[in-house]
Amino acid sequence: MAVLDVLVKYYPSFLVALGETMKLTVISLIFATILGVIFGLFKVSGMKPLKVLANIYIDIIRGTPLMVQTMIIFYGISQVLRPYGFSWGDIGGSFTAGAVTLSLNAGAYMAEIIRGGIEAIDKGQMEAARSLGLPYGKSMRRVILPQAFRTMMPSIINQFIISLKDTSLISIIGIRELTQNGKIIAANNSMMVMAIWVAVALHYLVICTVLSKVAIMVERKVSYGKQ
Amino acid sequence: MASSKILVKNLKKNFGSLEVLKSISVEVAEGEVVCLIGPSGSGKSTFLRCLNRLEKITAGEVIVDGHPISDPNVNINKVRENIGMVFQHFNLFPHLTVLDNITLAPVELKLMDKEAARKKAMELLERVGLADKADAYPAQLSGGQKQRVAIARSLAMNPDIMLFDEPTSALDPEMVGEVLEVMKQLAKEGMTMVVVTHEMGFAREVADRVIFMDEGYIVEEGTPEEIFSHPKEERTISFLNKVL
Repeated sequence: MAVLDVLVKYYPSFLVALGETMKLTVISLIFATILGVIFGLFKVSGMKPLKVLANIYIDIIRGTPLMVQTMIIFYGISQVLRPYGFSWGDIGGSFTAGAVTLSLNAGAYMAEIIRGGIEAIDKGQMEAARSLGLPYGKSMRRVILPQAFRTMMPSIINQFIISLKDTSLISIIGIRELTQNGKIIAANNSMMVMAIWVAVALHYLVICTVLSKVAIMVERKVSYGKQ
Repeated sequence: MASSKILVKNLKKNFGSLEVLKSISVEVAEGEVVCLIGPSGSGKSTFLRCLNRLEKITAGEVIVDGHPISDPNVNINKVRENIGMVFQHFNLFPHLTVLDNITLAPVELKLMDKEAARKKAMELLERVGLADKADAYPAQLSGGQKQRVAIARSLAMNPDIMLFDEPTSALDPEMVGEVLEVMKQLAKEGMTMVVVTHEMGFAREVADRVIFMDEGYIVEEGTPEEIFSHPKEERTISFLNKVL
């Protein structure tokens, strides 16, 4: 059967592209989590300049489409910084640009999730920690954040799923991840576009489904004292 | 008084345009047990929270153990190590076991190593009658047990002063006694205590001095005998008539 032949023939490229998608997702999410914690803490810090900074960052990211952000970071930044000797090509090309974009994008949403998670913790927790003599930073790290992270876990995993799917938009700058790979194969096998795109979709579906299941499991485990 | 542990002079506290405390002056001697009573909204809890700067004071002076805690240059964390606080809603850390709740601060602040802190925590749990709950999580405890753990947690820092903010108000009636018992014990051992309470029986029995507050003022203060048996002020009399 011709369809199967094509899929079998191209399957190795699917696996490579899947690897690329996962790499892009995982790297971006690591940086997004770091950015999210930093800017989330800025937002609850009570220090005006930090709050303003976080708000500007979050508003810009939330108020613009990911694809436009990708264009600005990949094409715009290279144009502006070229006179200073900067080129994306020197530091990993479009993959790096894509990872930077996705990190910044997911980081803003993570910051909001983390802010919400921290603010959902009862004020008495911080007061109890502070009244024991623990400084603000230690109270955050040992008392507030561990609790906040448990309640935030489902939202964080949800953001992981969104970011994973967002990698498909990043393909616009020429990263051969799942979607771009599908585009290339489909262009060469125009009679089998349906089969090819369904195959692409299935790859996303499987990973996202696994992540959702993990989210549900985690959600069940967030209650204390029942482990 | 040379041995004054807490000295409050003309303390004022506003929340926005609302004046919650209107010029409060109090002195607490070492080893003294002071109970604050008064109707809800009279400013008792706010006053207590000013003593360890959980609330920033608007004007006046609060000197605890010789440290002017309203001074922004004072290391408030160091001062707080010496002031235990027990809350109405316990505020135990739900993600930690009872033992870890108690050892967290001494270990984090490097006052004790893990083993010493553990030993001390077990002693304290023994003292509040909960040694068998060391590995439980707060969610597995009753209200009275939670509050006793909260007291043990504060004591782990070896404080000189203990502040209690309505420690029995969130408890079922049958659990009030066990918490008051622990507090009585502490008082007997000479701990300096400031207690905001609605437990008039406790105030009468344990307090060296009772302060009646209303609308942000200290209306009357004196020995339990003076306040409960011979109140002078109209407002004290009408309050006591309602609660006794």
